[in-house]
Amino acid sequence: MEQNAIYELLAGALGDGALGFTENPLEPWAAVETAKVAEACRFLRDDPRLDFDQLMCLSGIDWDGFDEAGKGKSVSILGYSDDGQPEKSDRVATGDLGVAYHLYSHALRHKFTLRVRVTRESATVPTISGLWSTAAWHEREAWDLLGLKFAGHPDPRRMLMEEDWVGHPLRKDYVMPDLWNGVPLQGQPYCANPFPVESGGPDKPAGDKPAEG
Amino acid sequence: MANEPTMVNGRGWGDQDHVPGIKSELLELNMGPQHPATHGVLRLLLHTDGEIVYKVTPVLGYLHRCAEKIAEGVNYKQWVVYTDRFDYLAPMCCNHAYVTAVEKLMGQAVPERAEHIRVATSELSRIASHLIALATFGLDMGAWTPLLYCFREREEILNLLERISGGRMLYNYMIPGGVRYDVPNDNWVADVLDFVDLMEHNKLPEYNTLLSYNKIFIERTADVGIIDAKTALDYGCTGPVLRGSGVDFDCRRDDPYSVYHKFDWQVQIGHGEKGTVGDCWDRYIVRAREIEQSCRIIRQALQTLPDGPYQALALKAIVKVPAGAAYTRVESSKGELGHYIISDGGQTAFRNKVRSPSFCNLQVVEKVGVGQMVSDLVALVGSLDIVLGEIDR
Repeated sequence: MEQNAIYELLAGALGDGALGFTENPLEPWAAVETAKVAEACRFLRDDPRLDFDQLMCLSGIDWDGFDEAGKGKSVSILGYSDDGQPEKSDRVATGDLGVAYHLYSHALRHKFTLRVRVTRESATVPTISGLWSTAAWHEREAWDLLGLKFAGHPDPRRMLMEEDWVGHPLRKDYVMPDLWNGVPLQGQPYCANPFPVESGGPDKPAGDKPAEG
Repeated sequence: MANEPTMVNGRGWGDQDHVPGIKSELLELNMGPQHPATHGVLRLLLHTDGEIVYKVTPVLGYLHRCAEKIAEGVNYKQWVVYTDRFDYLAPMCCNHAYVTAVEKLMGQAVPERAEHIRVATSELSRIASHLIALATFGLDMGAWTPLLYCFREREEILNLLERISGGRMLYNYMIPGGVRYDVPNDNWVADVLDFVDLMEHNKLPEYNTLLSYNKIFIERTADVGIIDAKTALDYGCTGPVLRGSGVDFDCRRDDPYSVYHKFDWQVQIGHGEKGTVGDCWDRYIVRAREIEQSCRIIRQALQTLPDGPYQALALKAIVKVPAGAAYTRVESSKGELGHYIISDGGQTAFRNKVRSPSFCNLQVVEKVGVGQMVSDLVALVGSLDIVLGEIDR
């Protein structure tokens, strides 16, 4: 079934929750209200005319700084400027966060793309891990890397980073912490000589000194 | 509750009376991160009561290299080298997935010759990856000899791919709009055709005699770790894991990309010949039979290798991708490898989400691993053929 026909069915079931359909030669997509996304997914999965039995992909997105006009600039990442010096940005990101759901039906061989947007303050999306189990790990990854909270998630832990990591690395305003459990993470020269010449070379351990007398 | 061990056969973790007179002890066991049966730095946290597993919790992230963050900071062509490190057993398939995604966003046409070379190298990579899968699965089951046989043929493939790309294991070979180098002049095509003939008619029967139809191996893998089709779809399993469960789906045929539609080959699925559909033996035999199909594809791709350019001529050093977003998937050796790339017209991707097949395939052990013996869990994880490079990214 064509994607706009799928959207017609979805809009009929959701009512106000469906926020519009964007025709796009690359990949058309439908926007739905954040609070209604679980309901929308349940309809898409259970309706026999649609029968989406596989969640191909669930992607968290930080839309901050996205250039709608299509004239984006390259950005520096990981907090290093071009000459390799650590740089701290105090820019406060204000853009929305978002989630994109890519669905596929093995029986009917059609695809569909759903997108939701949430504000940075709430950053909360209903979980769909009860509909497709595969969503559980994708949602944990989105929480880990983008700080998206999934309301009702059965196991809301970090997926890839350490459990006591601070911050969510894929956010556009992420600044890598200086230390993690005492391990320096940035600000270190790449190849420091541990025994600089001025210091007179490495100190010899006490045991190596020849015995006097 | 996700954090509570599950009930198995009506008994929970800690019901200590299931063998009268014998007291069992509750254990929280770490399998990994340094464990030969976890195929990399994967840690499985097991709750066991005796030999029975009550709960499996995979702990990931030991190989996390923030590749998706790096994608936002390096340009499109530079990032190809990071895709090599996802599935380091089949880097050509990962290259292919990424360049296909970028080309779709660019609307870039690819010369026919480049597509044929891509298909041939991807399938060679797939064979190499499946050889590792068969070999290490045999090793998990206690069969040491097939490992040496499989590595012998893999070495041949690495030599062939080194001659075309310059790299033995990590190739950085495909670029948006074509491939980096043309086919070398030193009889490469004839050597590959010789190799696939040897592989299909000589070596594959050898593996089947050694391992596939070995009675001990069948006893050990048939009816073990059964993933039914519904569970496989629910957990987003793809590739040989999904096909082993009897679902007839392959991106190369059903969501066509590149020039796979031109070739004559068949999708292999599990039939439950030795046990139940979706058991470990089915997943194993699907991979073994896919090697044969890959040989057929390579033969057709290289016998009909067209003349012409191997790169799109108009391609500049820095590729500019117009604004847009698309999810593109290809069939890598482990399953459906997808890239969701969002571009806002800049030199770098605004967001590049990688949907890696092993990540989704591994999750199924949380369900299927429950109630198994610890030794059968080893069989299950081995039959999923995971690669931690693309799970942790």
